[in-house]
Amino acid sequence: MGLLIGLALILVAADLAHPRPLPTLSAGNPGSLPEPSTNPTASTVVPTAATPEPEEDETVRKPIVEKVRRAALPAAHTPARHGDTSGSYLIGQRTLVEDYCGWGWVRKEGEGWNKGRWIAIEYDPEVCPVPHAFLPRPQDDKDYLYQLYGDFAPYRAYEPQADVWVEIFLIRGFLSLGPAKDTVRRDPPHHGSAKPNRFAERGANLR
Amino acid sequence: MNRRLALALLIVLCPELSWAYDIVLISGGPALRSHERFKVNTHDRYWGNFVDSTLARVKELRKEFGPDDKITWLVFRPGYIRRGLEEKQDYLKILEERGHLHGLTPIYFDDKDQLFTLLQRNGSPEKPLIARLEYYGHSNKKCWMFDYSNRVDGGAIETQVVHVDDLENISGSSFTPDAKCVSYGCHSGEEFSQRWRMIVGRPMVGAVGKTDYSAGGLPKLSEGKGGSWAY
Repeated sequence: MGLLIGLALILVAADLAHPRPLPTLSAGNPGSLPEPSTNPTASTVVPTAATPEPEEDETVRKPIVEKVRRAALPAAHTPARHGDTSGSYLIGQRTLVEDYCGWGWVRKEGEGWNKGRWIAIEYDPEVCPVPHAFLPRPQDDKDYLYQLYGDFAPYRAYEPQADVWVEIFLIRGFLSLGPAKDTVRRDPPHHGSAKPNRFAERGANLR
Repeated sequence: MNRRLALALLIVLCPELSWAYDIVLISGGPALRSHERFKVNTHDRYWGNFVDSTLARVKELRKEFGPDDKITWLVFRPGYIRRGLEEKQDYLKILEERGHLHGLTPIYFDDKDQLFTLLQRNGSPEKPLIARLEYYGHSNKKCWMFDYSNRVDGGAIETQVVHVDDLENISGSSFTPDAKCVSYGCHSGEEFSQRWRMIVGRPMVGAVGKTDYSAGGLPKLSEGKGGSWAY
């Protein structure tokens, strides 16, 4: 009998303890969608044919004024040497790949680019900025060579277009070697899976 | 037997103990303009995209929920510090002031491990179960990226992303049985939502296509790509 009373109490308690149902959200909000189906594939739910008019209290922003100022010097005025340039170094060639995380290729002195490593650079502005920080635009030192001083970080960077991990170089100094004779004719890791035409129908896989 | 009976009586007599629940809103950090300014697909012209949208949502939630309902606002701190250094602004102070206007104090996290800890719940008054979770920030179909294009150009630091492979660190027992989750990042509905449902065990609504924060208020699906919301 005691056992039955206990079970009954637990059942009642479980019923009462169930959290209050959440209120439904306004129409068009993803929170108001119906319960998911058991189909393992993604089920498209709400088409967004028309953009609703802004509500009365909704913020509509004014155009943003850029606050970050860059240098106005031409590429030739990049400092020849900056930061701590003592100790071992890597040869780095600035390489630009649209919509792909990273700074470019590095290799050891005397090695070929076939043994090069694709890196992202992390910097402390008070130690040493990336070389292109001295230029009007980041692409102004495309295919320039540098001696890069620093170390590889113990963590990696996530490259969102190709879903791969990229090595990070913590820069503490650089020496400019001027323009390279040729571009590095090699794609960064898994770049093929991130090329624009691969996912053209849905656009770049990021915002 | 006596212990079980006592527990059942406790739950019956003090139902508020197990009724406590939490609404968790997560704001990721902005990119640096020095990385993004000259890109074709530029991001985060405005530093507070993910702050304003979260607070706009709070305003909406306040209308629907009672004044005593608890909302927890988790903010990725390093992103706002670095963006503030770049633009010579104290964005943490500004976002705290904005949160105060909505009766919210941000709880900061610096990496994914801290976020996982903050999401560990047991239903006690100190750690109420999560009834609703929403994410505002950068993402792709496999990953929430709190510091996208901030410490490194065009990418995110390993310790500051939640990849689908990390989802095992989030326990379904931290959520109420009918918890609702929404990711307002881009492309989450293409894979992240499904993996969340499989691993965490709660449905998550995510975008197929991009989301757009540029107009303020809640993010909208970008126009022209045929985007939609999906589980």
